[in-house]
Amino acid sequence: MAAAAGGLSYFLPAAYTAFQATGQTVDFPSPSPSSLLFSPSPSASASAAPVGAFTVLLLGSDDDSKFQGGNLLTQSMILVRIVPSTKSVTMLSIPRDLWAPLASGGMGKMDWAYSYGGARGAIATVQADFGVHINDYIWIGLAGLIRVIDAIGGIDVVTSNPVLDDYYPQDINTKSPWGYARIAVLPGPQHLNGTQALQYVRSRHNDLQSDFGRSRRQQQVLLAIREKSHQLSPEDIPPLAQALSGEVKTSISLTRVPALVALATSFDNPDAIHQIVLASPYTHGGAPDGSLWPVWGAILPLVHQYFP
Amino acid sequence: MIPLLPKIALGAFLAVLMAVVGVSTYVYLGTRQSKVAAPAQLPTAAQPSPNAFRLPGTMILEQDGALFSLSAGRFHQLTGRAGWMQPSFTPGGNVLAVKQTGYYSDVWMLNRFGKKIRQLTNNAAPPRSYDTGDNHWAFYPRMTADGRTIFLSYDSPKFGYEVDLSIWAMPAGGNLRQGKVWTDEYDSPGYTGGDLQPIPVPGGVMFTRYDRTAEGGIISQVWFTSRAGTFGRAVTTPDEDCREPSLSPDGHSLAMICTYQKQVSNLVIAQYSNGRITGRQAVITNQLVAQPTWAPDGSGIAYLAPALAAAPFQLWFIPRAAYVKPSPSPAPSASAGASPVASPSPVPSPSPLVIKPIQITVNNGFDAVSTIAWAN
Repeated sequence: MAAAAGGLSYFLPAAYTAFQATGQTVDFPSPSPSSLLFSPSPSASASAAPVGAFTVLLLGSDDDSKFQGGNLLTQSMILVRIVPSTKSVTMLSIPRDLWAPLASGGMGKMDWAYSYGGARGAIATVQADFGVHINDYIWIGLAGLIRVIDAIGGIDVVTSNPVLDDYYPQDINTKSPWGYARIAVLPGPQHLNGTQALQYVRSRHNDLQSDFGRSRRQQQVLLAIREKSHQLSPEDIPPLAQALSGEVKTSISLTRVPALVALATSFDNPDAIHQIVLASPYTHGGAPDGSLWPVWGAILPLVHQYFP
Repeated sequence: MIPLLPKIALGAFLAVLMAVVGVSTYVYLGTRQSKVAAPAQLPTAAQPSPNAFRLPGTMILEQDGALFSLSAGRFHQLTGRAGWMQPSFTPGGNVLAVKQTGYYSDVWMLNRFGKKIRQLTNNAAPPRSYDTGDNHWAFYPRMTADGRTIFLSYDSPKFGYEVDLSIWAMPAGGNLRQGKVWTDEYDSPGYTGGDLQPIPVPGGVMFTRYDRTAEGGIISQVWFTSRAGTFGRAVTTPDEDCREPSLSPDGHSLAMICTYQKQVSNLVIAQYSNGRITGRQAVITNQLVAQPTWAPDGSGIAYLAPALAAAPFQLWFIPRAAYVKPSPSPAPSASAGASPVASPSPVPSPSPLVIKPIQITVNNGFDAVSTIAWAN
């Protein structure tokens, strides 16, 4: 009994934090009719869907001191399709500047969807525009990403090129969040801590592909986090939960977390991981407010191929 | 019936026992945490074992913004944790190194004990500037064999958001204003990060160029150029995605890292002559390898790589025998009537000796984008 009490006191803070972060109640909107409208053969797709496959919407926000009242934009929106039977994963980055119908009404940039309607608004917008069904969502703030990566002891990445930014937002742990910093993430195989990893995935000024280049780097870091999770043990959960406190929200219930972690670590074939970025010819510039026009005729067949 | 006093004693004993078991369980669970988040050990913390493998000469590496020397199997800390990185030895035995702050980085000359001799660049923005873009980066300084010129990567010129590094050369006794840009960022499409890590070689300089593929991705290639302002030529192909070149002491071999556009890296060696390479040989293929550096006596190659997947980088050494094949023994002369197809030998030939890399450090966390300096 004493041992149980000791164990309970070890895991209790983690459980409390996890209960707060997980199982967020979101009234998931049903897939929009557009999925039926655009899908070449909706019934065939549905029947071909592997058993147990599910789709998660990953949302990453600038939860820095520039924003008040929780009206956060999502700098990163990644649809992740996980098929346990084939151990395959597909990651599709949705450009934050995509000009599309918003679930809250009217047209706007994709990153406004979360700002106007929270997780439900973002999910509803993505479901309606892309004709996919989203099973769950995970939201993480900037500080949360830093803390997660630091809590797992950093990640190993082959950074693609020198990521140099003279006007990188200096908006975390500062009294003047509108300032700029200079960053230089040098290229090559290396071990990144949380701050360095955030710089790598967040910088976009010196990338000719701007948000698309950044999306590729974000997917790269997600895979590196997954790789590192192989080394974690159940006893690592309390420090991880402490790191994530208040920085992560998800609709995934606590009871499903262990199975999902085990599932994620069982995927070991890099060739079964598909990474998709909606650059040209799926989008092109010239939309209002410097945003991107979607080419739905190209996007939807691609989406339905990987997100049936 | 248990008398009252023993009952109290038993109760107290059980309470203490429960507390001990509870606390022990808590502590035990804490000890079962994986060590993934444990901070890297200072290189100087490890006591050298008398039987440990010892590298020749003196090596300088960077961990967490401090420079450490490794000589005769023992680490010494040369500088404080102040953004020091990318050391290289000068022909005279001093050390060129970069000191990086939040906004800029400068090249310094230190003596081999880490004492500052001279600041070679001054890349901070003017005192009254409010534009972060007025600062500059200088990285990867390397002095030529004659001691007269220092090559480095420098982010000038730059325009607005476009910050790309170019290869510059400056007089060793002068400053960057007297320097000359060798590779112009306009040679490449721009917005890739530019040209990095120059190494002076006879007749020119080799460096890594970050370039854009037709599909929009970014790859790295090793380039050679013989004169300032000339376009130069690619030494490796875009598909190889190679970087971090290192020339052997005899000047006949080039070691480099090639990723083939994947999240793995391979240590590749090639024969080198006059700015061209031939005959690639992948020496390490199963680790995330970085910064290959030749031993000054040619006895092998040091590099950085994690010992476990996704862990901090350690120092490794691969002996020359692992990648230089022994000269073949004279082939037996073919006897008359012998079949041209080799017949099975009745005596099994000895299996070739496999020489594995040697892990030099265990719990450190060396910066894998910082060079390794190594000299006699």
